[in-house]
Amino acid sequence: MDFFNSMNVSSSALSAERTRMNLISGNLANANATRTPEGGPYKRKDAVFSATPIENSFSRTLDGATGREVRQVEVVQIIEDQNPPRMQYDPNHPDADPQGYVALPNVNVVEEMADMINATRTYEANVAAVQAAKSMALKTLEISK
Amino acid sequence: MPVDGLFSTTVTILGKTIDLRARNQALIASNVANAETPHYTPKALSFENELQGALKGGSNRVQTLTHARHFPLNGSSSRIQDVTGKVVETPAKSPGKDGNAVEIEAEMSRMTENQIMYNASVQILAKKFEGLRSALREGK
Repeated sequence: MDFFNSMNVSSSALSAERTRMNLISGNLANANATRTPEGGPYKRKDAVFSATPIENSFSRTLDGATGREVRQVEVVQIIEDQNPPRMQYDPNHPDADPQGYVALPNVNVVEEMADMINATRTYEANVAAVQAAKSMALKTLEISK
Repeated sequence: MPVDGLFSTTVTILGKTIDLRARNQALIASNVANAETPHYTPKALSFENELQGALKGGSNRVQTLTHARHFPLNGSSSRIQDVTGKVVETPAKSPGKDGNAVEIEAEMSRMTENQIMYNASVQILAKKFEGLRSALREGK
Protein backbone atom coordinates (compact mmCIF):
# COMPACT_ATOMS: atom_id res chain seq x y z
CA MET A 1 0.00 0.00 0.00
CA ASP A 2 1.51 3.29 -0.99
CA PHE A 3 0.23 6.79 -0.62
CA PHE A 4 -0.24 7.18 -4.35
CA ASN A 5 -3.09 4.72 -4.04
CA SER A 6 -4.90 6.87 -1.52
CA MET A 7 -4.11 9.99 -3.55
CA ASN A 8 -5.61 8.33 -6.63
CA VAL A 9 -8.76 7.51 -4.67
CA SER A 10 -9.07 11.12 -3.55
CA SER A 11 -8.42 12.48 -7.02
CA SER A 12 -11.12 10.20 -8.46
CA ALA A 13 -13.51 11.93 -6.06
CA LEU A 14 -12.21 15.35 -7.08
CA SER A 15 -12.99 14.69 -10.72
CA ALA A 16 -16.39 13.19 -9.84
CA GLU A 17 -17.29 16.29 -7.83
CA ARG A 18 -16.07 18.49 -10.66
CA THR A 19 -18.37 16.64 -13.07
CA ARG A 20 -21.24 17.24 -10.66
CA MET A 21 -20.28 20.90 -10.41
CA ASN A 22 -20.37 21.18 -14.22
CA LEU A 23 -23.85 19.66 -14.27
CA ILE A 24 -25.04 22.05 -11.55
CA SER A 25 -23.66 25.03 -13.49
CA GLY A 26 -25.45 23.73 -16.59
CA ASN A 27 -28.69 23.37 -14.65
CA LEU A 28 -28.45 26.89 -13.23
CA ALA A 29 -27.49 28.41 -16.59
CA ASN A 30 -30.43 26.74 -18.29
CA ALA A 31 -32.96 27.32 -15.52
CA ASN A 32 -35.13 29.28 -17.97
CA ALA A 33 -34.27 27.64 -21.30
CA THR A 34 -37.48 26.67 -23.07
CA ARG A 35 -35.85 25.33 -26.23
CA THR A 36 -33.29 22.54 -26.62
CA PRO A 37 -31.93 20.67 -29.67
CA GLU A 38 -33.95 17.62 -28.51
CA GLY A 39 -37.08 19.76 -28.34
CA GLY A 40 -39.04 20.92 -25.31
CA PRO A 41 -37.65 22.68 -22.26
CA TYR A 42 -34.27 21.84 -20.69
CA LYS A 43 -34.31 18.93 -18.24
CA ARG A 44 -32.33 18.96 -15.02
CA LYS A 45 -29.24 16.71 -15.13
CA ASP A 46 -27.67 14.79 -12.29
CA ALA A 47 -24.69 12.47 -11.89
CA VAL A 48 -24.87 8.91 -10.54
CA PHE A 49 -21.90 8.02 -8.35
CA SER A 50 -20.64 4.50 -7.85
CA ALA A 51 -17.95 3.10 -5.55
CA THR A 52 -15.61 1.00 -7.71
CA PRO A 53 -12.55 -1.04 -6.71
CA ILE A 54 -9.21 0.46 -7.69
CA GLU A 55 -7.98 -0.63 -11.11
CA ASN A 56 -4.47 -1.79 -10.32
CA SER A 57 -5.26 -5.42 -9.54
CA PHE A 58 -1.64 -6.37 -8.85
CA SER A 59 -1.22 -4.05 -5.90
CA ARG A 60 -4.77 -4.91 -4.82
CA THR A 61 -3.83 -8.58 -4.53
CA LEU A 62 -0.62 -7.65 -2.79
CA ASP A 63 -2.39 -5.50 -0.23
CA GLY A 64 -4.79 -8.24 0.88
CA ALA A 65 -8.02 -7.36 2.67
CA THR A 66 -7.33 -3.63 3.00
CA GLY A 67 -6.56 -3.23 -0.68
CA ARG A 68 -9.80 -4.90 -1.66
CA GLU A 69 -11.86 -2.63 0.57
CA VAL A 70 -10.45 0.60 -0.84
CA ARG A 71 -12.92 2.04 -3.32
CA GLN A 72 -12.62 4.99 -5.63
CA VAL A 73 -15.62 6.90 -6.90
CA GLU A 74 -16.74 7.10 -10.48
CA VAL A 75 -19.51 8.89 -12.35
CA VAL A 76 -21.23 5.93 -14.02
CA GLN A 77 -24.20 7.71 -15.55
CA ILE A 78 -25.65 11.15 -16.15
CA ILE A 79 -29.39 11.08 -15.77
CA GLU A 80 -32.11 13.52 -16.78
CA ASP A 81 -34.65 14.43 -14.14
CA GLN A 82 -38.00 13.04 -15.35
CA ASN A 83 -40.13 15.35 -13.20
CA PRO A 84 -42.71 17.35 -15.17
CA PRO A 85 -41.71 20.85 -16.33
CA ARG A 86 -42.76 23.95 -14.44
CA MET A 87 -45.86 25.45 -16.09
CA GLN A 88 -46.03 29.23 -16.05
CA TYR A 89 -48.85 31.38 -17.47
CA ASP A 90 -47.39 33.72 -20.06
CA PRO A 91 -49.60 33.91 -23.20
CA ASN A 92 -47.24 36.33 -24.98
CA HIS A 93 -44.33 33.91 -24.87
CA PRO A 94 -43.55 32.37 -28.31
CA ASP A 95 -43.37 28.87 -26.75
CA ALA A 96 -46.70 29.15 -24.94
CA ASP A 97 -49.26 26.37 -25.51
CA PRO A 98 -52.86 27.19 -26.69
CA GLN A 99 -53.91 27.62 -23.05
CA GLY A 100 -51.18 30.28 -22.61
CA TYR A 101 -48.85 28.18 -20.41
CA VAL A 102 -45.09 27.96 -21.00
CA ALA A 103 -43.22 24.77 -20.03
CA LEU A 104 -40.11 25.86 -18.13
CA PRO A 105 -37.24 23.53 -17.09
CA ASN A 106 -37.79 21.40 -13.98
CA VAL A 107 -34.81 23.09 -12.31
CA ASN A 108 -35.24 24.29 -8.74
CA VAL A 109 -32.64 27.03 -8.30
CA VAL A 110 -32.60 26.76 -4.49
CA GLU A 111 -32.02 23.00 -4.72
CA GLU A 112 -29.18 23.54 -7.18
CA MET A 113 -27.52 26.05 -4.86
CA ALA A 114 -27.71 23.58 -1.96
CA ASP A 115 -26.24 20.86 -4.19
CA MET A 116 -23.49 23.24 -5.21
CA ILE A 117 -22.49 23.92 -1.59
CA ASN A 118 -22.51 20.18 -0.99
CA ALA A 119 -20.24 19.54 -3.98
CA THR A 120 -17.87 22.33 -2.90
CA ARG A 121 -17.54 20.98 0.64
CA THR A 122 -16.96 17.43 -0.54
CA TYR A 123 -14.35 18.70 -2.97
CA GLU A 124 -12.60 20.53 -0.13
CA ALA A 125 -12.69 17.42 2.07
CA ASN A 126 -10.97 15.44 -0.68
CA VAL A 127 -8.34 18.13 -1.17
CA ALA A 128 -7.64 17.83 2.57
CA ALA A 129 -7.30 14.04 2.15
CA VAL A 130 -4.76 14.51 -0.66
CA GLN A 131 -2.82 16.96 1.50
CA ALA A 132 -2.85 14.52 4.42
CA ALA A 133 -1.48 11.70 2.25
CA LYS A 134 1.15 14.03 0.81
CA SER A 135 2.35 15.23 4.19
CA MET A 136 2.50 11.65 5.49
CA ALA A 137 4.54 10.54 2.48
CA LEU A 138 6.94 13.45 2.95
CA LYS A 139 7.18 12.76 6.66
CA THR A 140 8.35 9.22 5.90
CA LEU A 141 11.40 10.65 4.17
CA GLU A 142 12.42 12.19 7.50
CA ILE A 143 13.26 8.75 8.92
CA SER A 144 16.47 8.69 6.94
CA LYS A 145 17.49 12.24 7.77
CA MET B 1 16.75 -12.77 15.41
CA PRO B 2 20.20 -11.55 16.44
CA VAL B 3 19.54 -7.94 15.44
CA ASP B 4 16.77 -7.85 18.02
CA GLY B 5 19.42 -7.02 20.56
CA LEU B 6 20.40 -3.82 18.84
CA PHE B 7 17.09 -2.69 17.45
CA SER B 8 14.81 -4.46 19.99
CA THR B 9 11.12 -4.60 19.13
CA THR B 10 10.91 -0.80 18.86
CA VAL B 11 11.88 -0.71 15.19
CA THR B 12 9.64 -3.64 14.30
CA ILE B 13 6.60 -2.27 16.05
CA LEU B 14 7.07 1.27 14.74
CA GLY B 15 7.57 -0.03 11.22
CA LYS B 16 4.42 -2.09 11.51
CA THR B 17 2.47 0.85 12.93
CA ILE B 18 3.57 3.06 10.04
CA ASP B 19 2.52 0.40 7.54
CA LEU B 20 -0.89 -0.12 9.15
CA ARG B 21 -1.53 3.63 9.48
CA ALA B 22 -0.71 4.06 5.78
CA ARG B 23 -3.28 1.38 4.95
CA ASN B 24 -5.81 3.05 7.23
CA GLN B 25 -5.20 6.34 5.42
CA ALA B 26 -6.19 4.71 2.12
CA LEU B 27 -9.41 3.40 3.66
CA ILE B 28 -10.30 6.79 5.13
CA ALA B 29 -9.50 8.49 1.81
CA SER B 30 -11.87 6.01 0.17
CA ASN B 31 -14.58 6.94 2.71
CA VAL B 32 -14.13 10.66 2.04
CA ALA B 33 -14.13 10.03 -1.72
CA ASN B 34 -17.41 8.14 -1.45
CA ALA B 35 -19.09 10.66 0.85
CA GLU B 36 -21.77 11.17 -1.82
CA THR B 37 -22.07 7.64 -3.20
CA PRO B 38 -25.42 5.96 -2.50
CA HIS B 39 -25.37 2.78 -0.35
CA TYR B 40 -21.72 3.17 0.63
CA THR B 41 -20.65 2.02 4.10
CA PRO B 42 -17.44 3.54 5.48
CA LYS B 43 -14.64 1.24 6.63
CA ALA B 44 -11.59 1.56 8.84
CA LEU B 45 -8.65 -0.60 9.84
CA SER B 46 -8.67 -1.77 13.44
CA PHE B 47 -5.33 -3.09 14.65
CA GLU B 48 -4.58 -1.56 18.07
CA ASN B 49 -5.71 -4.57 20.10
CA GLU B 50 -4.06 -7.08 17.80
CA LEU B 51 -0.79 -5.17 17.93
CA GLN B 52 -0.95 -4.87 21.69
CA GLY B 53 -1.64 -8.60 21.93
CA ALA B 54 1.38 -9.37 19.73
CA LEU B 55 3.57 -7.12 21.84
CA LYS B 56 2.38 -8.65 25.13
CA GLY B 57 2.68 -12.16 23.78
CA GLY B 58 6.29 -11.42 22.96
CA SER B 59 7.29 -10.53 26.47
CA ASN B 60 8.00 -14.14 27.43
CA ARG B 61 10.31 -14.46 24.49
CA VAL B 62 13.44 -14.84 26.59
CA GLN B 63 13.27 -18.52 27.32
CA THR B 64 15.59 -21.49 27.55
CA LEU B 65 14.58 -24.89 26.39
CA THR B 66 14.82 -27.11 29.47
CA HIS B 67 13.63 -30.19 27.66
CA ALA B 68 14.47 -31.54 24.23
CA ARG B 69 10.80 -31.88 23.35
CA HIS B 70 9.79 -28.33 24.28
CA PHE B 71 8.55 -26.21 21.43
CA PRO B 72 10.43 -22.97 20.96
CA LEU B 73 8.15 -19.94 21.30
CA ASN B 74 7.89 -17.54 18.44
CA GLY B 75 10.02 -14.46 18.57
CA SER B 76 8.00 -11.34 19.25
CA SER B 77 9.27 -9.61 16.13
CA SER B 78 7.74 -12.24 13.89
CA ARG B 79 4.53 -12.05 15.87
CA ILE B 80 4.39 -8.28 15.37
CA GLN B 81 5.16 -8.78 11.68
CA ASP B 82 2.11 -11.02 11.37
CA VAL B 83 -0.33 -8.33 12.52
CA THR B 84 -2.51 -7.34 9.59
CA GLY B 85 -5.37 -5.57 11.31
CA LYS B 86 -9.03 -6.06 10.56
CA VAL B 87 -11.23 -4.03 8.24
CA VAL B 88 -14.28 -2.95 10.23
CA GLU B 89 -17.32 -1.02 9.08
CA THR B 90 -17.86 2.32 10.75
CA PRO B 91 -21.32 3.45 9.63
CA ALA B 92 -22.91 6.67 10.90
CA LYS B 93 -25.72 6.29 13.42
CA SER B 94 -28.25 7.80 11.04
CA PRO B 95 -27.52 7.01 7.38
CA GLY B 96 -28.92 9.37 4.76
CA LYS B 97 -31.95 8.63 2.61
CA ASP B 98 -29.70 7.30 -0.15
CA GLY B 99 -28.23 4.68 2.18
CA ASN B 100 -24.88 6.44 2.44
CA ALA B 101 -23.50 6.00 5.95
CA VAL B 102 -20.47 8.29 5.69
CA GLU B 103 -20.24 11.00 8.31
CA ILE B 104 -17.77 13.44 6.83
CA GLU B 105 -16.92 15.13 10.15
CA ALA B 106 -16.11 11.79 11.77
CA GLU B 107 -14.00 10.78 8.77
CA MET B 108 -12.04 14.03 8.82
CA SER B 109 -11.29 13.70 12.52
CA ARG B 110 -10.33 10.05 12.03
CA MET B 111 -8.03 11.09 9.22
CA THR B 112 -6.41 13.81 11.37
CA GLU B 113 -5.92 11.38 14.23
CA ASN B 114 -4.41 8.80 11.89
CA GLN B 115 -2.09 11.40 10.40
CA ILE B 116 -0.88 12.63 13.80
CA MET B 117 -0.26 9.09 15.02
CA TYR B 118 1.57 8.31 11.79
CA ASN B 119 3.79 11.37 12.17
CA ALA B 120 4.41 10.49 15.81
CA SER B 121 5.53 6.96 14.87
CA VAL B 122 7.82 8.29 12.15
CA GLN B 123 9.32 10.80 14.56
CA ILE B 124 9.94 8.21 17.26
CA LEU B 125 11.54 5.89 14.70
CA ALA B 126 13.78 8.70 13.45
CA LYS B 127 14.78 9.49 17.05
CA LYS B 128 15.54 5.83 17.69
CA PHE B 129 17.95 5.75 14.76
CA GLU B 130 19.39 9.08 15.84
CA GLY B 131 20.09 7.63 19.28
CA LEU B 132 21.79 4.56 17.79
CA ARG B 133 23.87 6.75 15.52
CA SER B 134 24.86 8.91 18.44
CA ALA B 135 25.92 5.82 20.39
CA LEU B 136 27.99 4.62 17.40
CA ARG B 137 29.79 7.94 17.27
CA GLU B 138 30.40 7.81 21.03
CA GLY B 139 28.12 10.75 21.53
CA LYS B 140 30.14 13.02 19.28
